[in-house]
Formats: sequence, structure tokens, C-alpha cells
Amino acid sequence: MSTILEVRQLSKYFGGLAAVSKLDLSVVDSEILGLIGPNGAGKTTLFNVIGGFFPPTSGRVTLDSRDITGLKAHQIAHLGISRTFQASTLFMKISVLDNVLTGYHMSYKTSIWKRLLRMPSALNEEEMLRQRAMEILGFMGLESLKDELAANLPHGHQRILGVCMALATNPKLLLLDEPVTGMNPEETQTMIDLIRQIRDRGVTIVVVEHNMRVVMNLCDRIVVLSYGQKIAEGLPEEIRDNKEVVEAYLGKEGAR
Amino acid sequence: MDKLWKKYRLNRINIRSGKLIGLVVLGVILVLVPWLVHSPYYMHLLIMVGIYAVLAMTFIFLLRTGLITLAIAAFWGIGAYSSALLTMRLDLSFWLALPLSAIITGIIGFCIGYIFVRSPGFAFIILTASLGMAIVHVFGTFDVFGGYLGITGIPAPDPILLPFLAPIKFSRVDKTAYYYLMLFLVLLVVLALRAFYSAWTGRAWRAIGLSPRLAESLGVNLFRYRLLAFVIASAAAGLMGSFYAHYMQSLVPGAFVVIKTIYAHIYAILGGIGFAISGPVIGAFIMTIVPELLRVVREFEPIFTGLFLILLVLFLPNGLLGLLSLRQRVERPSESIARVGRWIRDYLPTSRSEHENRK
Amino acid sequence: MDLPLVVQLVVNGLSMGMIYVLLASGFNLILSTPKILFIAYGEFYMLGAFIFYGLAHELELPLVVALCLATLATAILGGVVYKLIFQRIKGHFLAMIVAAIGLMMLMAQGTMLVFGTHARGMPSIFTGMIIVGGIRIPVERAVLIIIALAVLVGLHLLLQRTNIGRAMRAVSFNADVAALQGVNSNRTCLLTMVVGCALAGFAGAIMTPVFAVSPGMGAITFLVLMVVMLGGIGSMVGAIVAGLVLGVTLSFGQYSVGGGVAQIIFFAVIAILIFFRPGGLLGQAMEEVPP
Repeated sequence: MSTILEVRQLSKYFGGLAAVSKLDLSVVDSEILGLIGPNGAGKTTLFNVIGGFFPPTSGRVTLDSRDITGLKAHQIAHLGISRTFQASTLFMKISVLDNVLTGYHMSYKTSIWKRLLRMPSALNEEEMLRQRAMEILGFMGLESLKDELAANLPHGHQRILGVCMALATNPKLLLLDEPVTGMNPEETQTMIDLIRQIRDRGVTIVVVEHNMRVVMNLCDRIVVLSYGQKIAEGLPEEIRDNKEVVEAYLGKEGAR
Repeated sequence: MDKLWKKYRLNRINIRSGKLIGLVVLGVILVLVPWLVHSPYYMHLLIMVGIYAVLAMTFIFLLRTGLITLAIAAFWGIGAYSSALLTMRLDLSFWLALPLSAIITGIIGFCIGYIFVRSPGFAFIILTASLGMAIVHVFGTFDVFGGYLGITGIPAPDPILLPFLAPIKFSRVDKTAYYYLMLFLVLLVVLALRAFYSAWTGRAWRAIGLSPRLAESLGVNLFRYRLLAFVIASAAAGLMGSFYAHYMQSLVPGAFVVIKTIYAHIYAILGGIGFAISGPVIGAFIMTIVPELLRVVREFEPIFTGLFLILLVLFLPNGLLGLLSLRQRVERPSESIARVGRWIRDYLPTSRSEHENRK
Repeated sequence: MDLPLVVQLVVNGLSMGMIYVLLASGFNLILSTPKILFIAYGEFYMLGAFIFYGLAHELELPLVVALCLATLATAILGGVVYKLIFQRIKGHFLAMIVAAIGLMMLMAQGTMLVFGTHARGMPSIFTGMIIVGGIRIPVERAVLIIIALAVLVGLHLLLQRTNIGRAMRAVSFNADVAALQGVNSNRTCLLTMVVGCALAGFAGAIMTPVFAVSPGMGAITFLVLMVVMLGGIGSMVGAIVAGLVLGVTLSFGQYSVGGGVAQIIFFAVIAILIFFRPGGLLGQAMEEVPP
């Protein structure tokens, strides 16, 4: 089993505050890795650094043995890392289908001049991307809502749409930031199944979640962060019984 | 012929659509204006409306990518001075200088934009504001631009020679030719903007405007697309600058002060920044024509403009068109045009539509 | 150039530079906390100068009283403007910029209407020179520098040691988090605006006896923008360094090539600098906010 992503001695300081401190992390190909920890532990910051939204203060990030430290977000997207965001970050004022189509930005190959001239190759490619977008929507169960404005969707569907868009970028590694937060048990189960199916399609997944049942259920391995440092790593059963982890949460079960 | 039709999907254009008919009618009205309006003064105002409308469009265009620019007048000026120098020092014909000026302004826009666009939000505004203020000094200081007194005697565009017709002359007395040229240029800019917007770049721009972070995570290179928008906006402003130079036939640096950029902002906001093309036109039209009709005292202009701006921003944030939209669901000007077109199509004798089909 | 001339140019530059520093600091305050790009800032500077001139020269009130009243007037006006206009459009950056521009036009034209377009001079308060080793330094400029420094120190203390100052800094970093800590964001922004405009009025007032007063003074906003860009948006230290640099540079520039060209050169230099450091010399790039 090969390592797809490696994080070495990563630190990120905001002013004097260490959000992440000398973190070492490996993500194995095709696994579902859970990233848990109390609020403020640095999980989202880690995602932001890996995703290229800001450079680390020190340390390195490697993707498939290629150093990607300090690359910007769009470059990292081109290299195959995609993410969702905590808040419902979507293009609210356009339709569901348009949202997903925007996700295909990197796949669009025809040059702009051909498109301006409305040449057949450009229009065909658009048609093909449109079909692929519909496929993803179908896969995730949203195809009937394709013309609905993203802002009008219920919360659960918005989260799913976020995942659809991330999928459209055809990622090798998918970073999911709290995918089931705010969802009812039904929606949560749907999301769990979808995540498993995404993994079966060959995508490696790292999930940040507070819902412990989901994490235990879904993840192959779990890493626990607290105050920017890794305090535990291992299989779900091991983590569940780990004293330090329980202490870090101070008794909060975290199940929402 | 049929194959050509299919290859370019021309048959997708619905000839009987209300929108097309409405636009055609609008076009006819615009073309007939010189016959309806006889006063050269009002013709002048309409021409200025056209110029300012384009400038306001560039503002909204850049705004949609998250850039608030205060340098619109600066690029307008760069285009104007370039064109004047090209025709007067290099003896080029206006018809060559016009596209060249747009290109030159675009290139300068690229160089300047390369530095400015990298800077985050507020910094960009400050930089463009500084450019806007500095450019007037640049025009005024160097003799090649004629100093603070400017350049006079800029030649009018060469007459257009058409077969079988008398040459079309550009005269400041009868502004008809200038008017049509203005219409042509405005149409050119509008079509170019729409073309870019319908292409994949439009999708990227829209994404950047709605949520830059999300766009970035999907692989959109913010800098490159914003720079592209900046270059296009500069070139458009430069194009209108060239026209302006050869229309006014004289230039002073004071014509390109930052307040002119503010005017462009006002027109755009008054029309409603949600309306990229019709907003600026309406805004420019109202702000230019209405004060004339009401004979508002011009001395107090800046005070009233200032007060007007504040009130506008407090009470009419969506502009006039936005206000109208709220009242009747969302009827955009294009929908109104379409509605009128459909009415015409349905109530006039059918021979008219057949006539268009045969095209 | 001989030494006395150089020193004179430097002192001139520093005295005007301190004005830039005060203005840039106030501008930075308003930019950081209520997050307004306050283009009308120069007009408050001008207003302070005119009020001081009117009170001290025409009405012949005691200088200190005139100074206090001028500063108070601009402070109050700033607060009023914030409450009436900017508080309502909080968060809409375009609206705030447009409103600031409108305010600028209003104030500039209004002052011109009331006071006329010609410049006014005022007899120097402190005549006389300090003579150090053959170099002559006008007393009034030295006094200007000292007073400005004192105010600057006061500002620093305000920001670092008082609760209000801490609140201002908190809101400038993250208004929502500050709110969670119990900071009233609206009131803090209002106070920041008041302090910022007070600074502008104060700067205008103290420079009146030394330099002339004219309705076009509001154009100093351009230079303030340059200083803020150079020193880094939101950086107080940067404002000090950049303000002094600008003052001295313009002083030498004015002497050798003339003011307009000096400004252009300065602008070009800053543009090149921004190419290498988009946030300015010392400012943090404001977009580096965690998603």
C-alpha cells in the first residue's frame, strides 16, 4: 500500500499562535482517513495548508513523492487534491448544474478562440462535460434538482452539491471538511454510502468530522489532533479506547 | 449551404424569438435617431452617453471579478493620447490608429495589471486610485503629450469610401457619422464582452465573482483570469479613448481626472450593477440627458454629485433597474425587449416574420 | 549640496513627513477597524486646518483652544458621518467607497463655496531659529515634529494599553470573534472613526501656521494612499517609516525636479515595490484570512 500524501513536520503559526505544530501525517492510497479532535485542534488549518490556501510556516507536504509545499490553491487542484468547505461554500446565485459544471473548469481543453468562434469542437466538449456533470448529479442523487438555484437547496443537499463539485475535478485525494454536520440521520447515512462509493471509484479520502459514530463507521484509520499536534493514530477500535483522546475531548462525545 | 448551417449550429438561433425581434426594433430606433434628433448639442450628448456607457460597463465587468478599479479614466486617456500621437506624429490613418490604440492600451493594461492584480483588495483600489491621479500629471508634465495645455488639432477620421455612395465624412457640425461610429464601437464592445462571457472564461469569471475561494479550489487561477479581465477592460476603455480624441479633436489632461472614473461608477450604480450592459446605458443616459432637460445649475455640480452619490448608495443600492426588478418579479431589460418583440411578432401581419425567415 | 541645505531639506521633509505619518496612522485605523477605504480623509484634514485658521487667526482665540476646537469638530463630524452613512452600509465595500467619494466631493466643494478658492496664510507662531553648529533649523518645524511625535506616542498608548485600543485591534483582526468576546463592534468602529478623523483635523490644524491653507488641501489623500501602500496596509510602524520617507523624498524632490515629477517618481517606485511585495513593505496581505 503506497502513501499518497505525506505531511512532514508541518507547522503553521498565525502571529504567535501555533495552529498546527510539527505535525507528521501519512495518507495511504485508497483509504478513508478520519481526522478528529476538539475544536481549534487545527484540523481545518491543516486542510487549508494542504489545499494551498496558505503556505505553512515550516514543514513539507508531498503528494505522490512530489513536493507541493507552498503551491497555491489552484495549482494544487490541478495536481489532484480537492476539498469541500465547512460552511456551505457554493456558488449560490447559479443553478445546481452550473455549480457542478464550474467544477469541470480544469477539464475544459478547447482553446478560448475556438469557443469564441463557436466551433463544433468547443460546443461538443461543452456538451460532453454537461453529460458528465449530469452523471455526477445522478450518482449523488441530485439530478432532479439540476436547475434549482444552489441557495434554494436544503442544507443537506447543499453539502452533497459541495461534494459533487469536488468530484468534478477528478481528484486523487479528496478532503472532506465536516460533510455531515447539520444533517439528519437519513441524510447522514446517504452521505456515508456516497463517501464509500467515491472511495470505491479510486479516490483517497480524508474526512474531518465531529460525529463519532460516522467516523468510527466510515474510516479505515483515524488521526487525532489536539492543539495542533497529533496525539493518537490508529484503527477506530484503538482510538475509541485511547485515554488521551477521551481526555482531549473532556468527556464530550461529539455526536451531533 | 445547409451543411454550413448545421456545422455552425446557426439553426439554433430562433429567428422567430421575441428577443431577436425586440433587439432588431431597438436597433432600428437607434439607427433612426439622427433623423429624429436635429440638435447637434443633443447628438453630442448621445455620443457622450455611448462613451460613458462603455466605461461604466468596464467597471461592472471588473467588479464581477472582484476588482474595484479607479483607473478607468486613466486607460481612457491612454487610448486617447495614443491615438492622437499615432495619427499626428506617425501620420497613421485614424482607421489604423483606432485598433492600434486599443491594442496599445491593452498591452499597457497588461503591464500595469501584472503588478496591480497581484495585490489584495484594498491595495488594488489604492493602486488604481494612485494611477488615476498620477496619469494626469504624466500627461501634463511631458511635452510629447502637449503638457497641461494638451493637444489640439487632432484630425477627424478619414472619410469612409463606399462604392456607389458618397464618401462618409466626419464633421463636428453634423455629428451623424460620429454617432454611427459610436454605435458601432459600443456594439463591438458589447459583443466582445458577451462572447467572452459565454465562453468558459465567463464561467470562471462568474465563479471568481461569486466565491473566489471556491473557484480557486476548483483550479481557477484567480490572478490570470483577473488579469485577463483587466486587459480587456483597459483595451475597451482605450478604444473609446481613441474615438473620443478624434471626436473632440483636442485633448487636455484634465479630461481624464479621477472624477471621470467616478462618473463611470455613478452611471453603473445608478443603472444597477446587477445589469452589466443595460445598467450602464440607462445610468449614463439618465445622468447625461436628464440634467440637460431640467437645466440644472452646473456650478454646484460637484456638491450635488457628492450628495447624490451618498443618497444613491444609501437608498438605491440596486440601482434603478434593480428597483424595477423587485416590483415585478425579475424582469430584466432583455426580458422587456423580448416581450415587446413578441407583441410585435404576434400582432403584426405574418408577412413580416416570413420576411425575416427567408434571411 | 552643502550640509546646511541638506539638513534644512531633511528637517523640512521630516516635519511634513510627520504630518503624513499622522494622517497615514489615522487612515490605517479607519481602514483596519471599520474597514472603510476613507477617500474623504483628506477633507477632514483640510477642515481641521480651516477651522483652526478661522478660530486662531480671524477670531483670535487662544491657540490651544483653537486647536482643541478644531480637533473636536472634525472628530464629531467623523462620528456623525459614520453613524449616518457608513454604519448603514457596513460590509458593502463598494457602497462604502462610493459614499466616501461622494462625501469627499461634498466637503471639497462645500469648503470652496464657503471659504473661497484662494490660499490663506497665517503668521508663524514660533519665529526664530535653532542654530546648531552653523545649521539653521526653524523653531516652528521642530515644534511641529515634537507635537506630532507626542500625539503619535499617545496613539500608541491608546492602542496598546487601553481597553478601547484593544477593542479596536480586536475588531480589526476579526469582528465576529471580537463580538464573541463582548466587544461592541458598532461602538468600537464609531470610536475608531472619531479618533481617526480627530487625527486628521489635528494634523491640519498644527500644520496651518507652518504651511498655507487652501481648499485644495484635500488632495493630500493621494499622498496618504501612497504612504499606506508603501508602509503596508494596516501597519502602524509602516506608516511611520513610509510617511517620513515620503516627506523627505518629496522635500528633496521638490527642490530638484519639482513636486509633480517627484510624485510620479514616487508612484513608480511604489508600483515596482508592490510587484515584489504585494502587501506593502510591512503590511500583512489582507487576504490571508483562513477560509
